[in-house]
Amino acid sequence: MTDRAEAVRLLESRAAPSAALADQAGAIADTCHAMAVRFHQGGKLIVFGTGGPSTDAQHVAVEFVHPVIVGKRALPAISLTTDIATVTGTAERDGISEIFAHQIRYLAAPADMALGISSDGNSPSVLGGLAAARAGGLLTIALTGGDGGQIAASRAAEHVLLAPSPDPRIVKELQVTLYHVLWELVHVFFEQPGVLAPGVVA
Amino acid sequence: MAQPQPGTPAAMEALYPFLYASSSDLPAVLAQVRESTVAKTLEIAQLRQVICEREAERLAACAEAAAARFAAGGRLLAFGNGGSATDAQQLATLFLNPGPATRPLPAYALGSDTSVVTALCNDIGVEVVFARQIAAFGTSDDIAVGLSTSGNSENLVRAFEEASRRGMLTVGLAGYEGGKMAELDSIDYLFVAPSASVHRIQEAQTTIYQVLWELTSGALAWLEGQRA
Repeated sequence: MTDRAEAVRLLESRAAPSAALADQAGAIADTCHAMAVRFHQGGKLIVFGTGGPSTDAQHVAVEFVHPVIVGKRALPAISLTTDIATVTGTAERDGISEIFAHQIRYLAAPADMALGISSDGNSPSVLGGLAAARAGGLLTIALTGGDGGQIAASRAAEHVLLAPSPDPRIVKELQVTLYHVLWELVHVFFEQPGVLAPGVVA
Repeated sequence: MAQPQPGTPAAMEALYPFLYASSSDLPAVLAQVRESTVAKTLEIAQLRQVICEREAERLAACAEAAAARFAAGGRLLAFGNGGSATDAQQLATLFLNPGPATRPLPAYALGSDTSVVTALCNDIGVEVVFARQIAAFGTSDDIAVGLSTSGNSENLVRAFEEASRRGMLTVGLAGYEGGKMAELDSIDYLFVAPSASVHRIQEAQTTIYQVLWELTSGALAWLEGQRA
């Protein structure tokens, strides 16, 4: 028997973690600025994640390439989750931790940005992708959840944004807000080109 | 007013003021971005609250109906365009690969097969994508879940008509005021995220379908416990 009370309990369980997301406002603003500088320099955004977050990686790519708000410029972004031949081929030959690292080594340029998404911060493939990105000189960003897992503990990315919930479904919902905000607010910096020179700091 | 001498730095600055904008603007822009972030998190929290008040009862009813279909051997087919295509994939993997604590259930996303999608787009038109796939796969035990932010996508409207004709349980997620999807008789359960922001709509829809998944899993476990 499924009743209204259970639906209400589940819906209301989103409220506290959602409110806690506002604590990340400073980190989000800094990340948007760093991304805007990279786009301004001609960098592209490379997004990756496994399981549910693989769909988020594709969502981020379409968000930047085909903006929902008319008049916003299209920005270069690709997801590393759609080339199923390379993903499965790499996984079988070199192991799961190589599926994104391999693509980054051969598709990325130093001006690019790597955005890894992991619900618990412990995805070996996302960690591998971020490590390859750092080695290649990319800007590294991670969206994680829970306590941030190994991604937060090992400082695998320069910018780590945390969705504060132990429930991977709630983490997903907060991460959708996080990347929507990243997309929208990167554009704010384009309206102020004086702040896009490399080395401009607050 | 004195004109800058052509070719001098002053003339360059007059022509391209943005190149000379002060880096001291940065703290102000960062503050603006922080405020905007906080405002957006409040906006989505309020939208979820409205949905909780309006839809909790029907979400529970929809979950029971979906559980009955799964218990009868049905599958879930999810579909949407663009960002909603990724939500359809998330919904499918949520059922099919939910993790160790929950029973996997048969579900797939119709947008994932790029060969079928591009073949239909190229040979006929985007409006038959999903409807044609439902005609090929759908049975009266199955569940069709279509996601749209506008509620106006022609290929969703046609997909719901096909699914309804086949006796499938039909579930729609839309935004704004529901668009064309709100006018259809072919959708058994329509959940509208009442917002004018595509982003907030998608965030609220993510909550709606994930709660629906959790309620459906619970309802199915209860149903099977009754039969055991």
